[in-house]
Amino acid sequence: MQKRALIDRIIDPSETTLAWLLLTPAIVFILLIVAYPVLSLIVNSFFDIRLSRGVPVRFVGFENYLAALNDAMFWRAVKNTLIITFVTVPGALVVGLGLAMLANMPFKYRGLIRLSLLLPWALPLAFVGLIFAWFFHSEYGIFNDIIRRIATLMPSLGWEPQIWFNSPSLTMMAICIATVWKTSSFMALILLAGLQTIPASLYEAAEVDGASRWTQFVEITLPLLIPSMLIALIFRTLTAIQSFDIPFSMPGPGEEAQTLAMYIQLNSVDYLDLGYSSALAVFMFMLSMATTFVYLRYVRGGRD
Amino acid sequence: MSENKMSNLLSSKRLRWLAAAIVIVNGLFPALWILATSLKGEVELTAKPITYLPHNPTLQNFISAFRDQPLLTYLLNSGTVAILSTMLSLFISALAAYAIARLNLKRRDLILTSIIAVSMFPLVTLMVPLFEIMRAANLLNSYWALILPYTVLNLPICTLMLVSFFHDIPRDIENAAMLDGCTRLGALWRIVVPLAAPGVFTAGILAFVNSWDEFLLALSLNSAVAYRTLPVGIQMYQGEFAFPWPIISAALVVAMVPVVIVIVVFQDKVVSGLTSGGLKG
Repeated sequence: MQKRALIDRIIDPSETTLAWLLLTPAIVFILLIVAYPVLSLIVNSFFDIRLSRGVPVRFVGFENYLAALNDAMFWRAVKNTLIITFVTVPGALVVGLGLAMLANMPFKYRGLIRLSLLLPWALPLAFVGLIFAWFFHSEYGIFNDIIRRIATLMPSLGWEPQIWFNSPSLTMMAICIATVWKTSSFMALILLAGLQTIPASLYEAAEVDGASRWTQFVEITLPLLIPSMLIALIFRTLTAIQSFDIPFSMPGPGEEAQTLAMYIQLNSVDYLDLGYSSALAVFMFMLSMATTFVYLRYVRGGRD
Repeated sequence: MSENKMSNLLSSKRLRWLAAAIVIVNGLFPALWILATSLKGEVELTAKPITYLPHNPTLQNFISAFRDQPLLTYLLNSGTVAILSTMLSLFISALAAYAIARLNLKRRDLILTSIIAVSMFPLVTLMVPLFEIMRAANLLNSYWALILPYTVLNLPICTLMLVSFFHDIPRDIENAAMLDGCTRLGALWRIVVPLAAPGVFTAGILAFVNSWDEFLLALSLNSAVAYRTLPVGIQMYQGEFAFPWPIISAALVVAMVPVVIVIVVFQDKVVSGLTSGGLKG
């Protein structure tokens, strides 16, 4: 009798049991691919694990972290990453807002507009890096071609074609331009959806009150877009901190334009220094968490 | 389509065309420029000033693209990894989403939030331990090395979308099926999932594009030629000092075709998926 009941429960379990059964695969996957790796990362960051040298694994306390503090390459990578973040996040927001406003104007071929916003989103970052590397080519790149043409038309400007990838700052500029192009279209799609939920009556009322178009933009459009902006901004900032694909795909002046993610990848996959790269990755983890925390505080603060 | 006052004010016909032209050129120009480059021969490529449209289009670069690197292998690898991880992700998140949306479960919001929180973890942070784990498990350079992490990376968006789609399906239909002798799971597969098909499909497209585009893990975990995906393989045309741009462009054109097909055919779904995920998340 009892055995029968057990079989019944397996075949037709209670709702709560079934719910947990259905959640099990997701939980197992997340534990295996996210939770366990993050824990082992934190543990590894306190050990000396250099697979390439065959030295035995040993506990070193905070040595890896201290080494990072004294590592000029680490600081340069952090600096480059922060530059990319502080330039491309606002950049993508401003360009994305501009594209969204333009795309929101009535136009017969909506499909073409939508396709134009979707293509940059759908292209792999690694492709975008390569495409823009070609754009910035010193001899045959289109940017230098435009600069040459403008220089011939208006010599007084003093514009000269640049060897973009010889200079760290110009390489950073190329990386930022490529990143803004790639990420602004997603921002535009989100903001466009936000724009389309703003009732036309609000603008009509403002019109009656004699508000200028700029006032309407600042008083109506921007505040109502903030909710859709915030979530997109959180994810954009988190991915900017992880910038890897685009800088990796560009030729560049070597290590000068290295990002934190590139430096971590170099130390783990190429140098097989898992202890040190784990400490660096923990730093990146904390940076991401801090960013999320700041944004969420702002979201909550905004709601109160 | 919304026709608010502001756009009415701005909408003299010429202005509308200008606005549209800016958006279209911004979005499509880079891809078209790569297409133009891929059709140029060596002589034309190094001509100055540069030509904007190829004068003597040639397909030679495409032949070279397939000859210099196993481009077809890269395409198949990307397809295999993206399709399998998408299917696995949809299956796992459909189960989880059903439990969250429909079943008697305490703290369902907390569970959903925890799954969504996975998308906040930096991929680089996961890459270092995953590299070590896959190495220890002898899974480096295998499809599983990418399918497993991609499946998890796509769980948040898939679960989020499916939960909201499952919510919209009337319980009565499900209850009727169960009165007719269908089990809960039977109702999930035969009634709920088919009714939520548009949502399942949209989530699937987003997951597919995410996996198709991923670079860091693919580069770090699968560096062997036989398992390289497209974003990794496409980097291999460059030598130490030389960038054979027309050939790279041809390879890029080939590699862009699947992405373009997906967004041309499914643009409505992609847009609705992206915006709902962004707004509700």
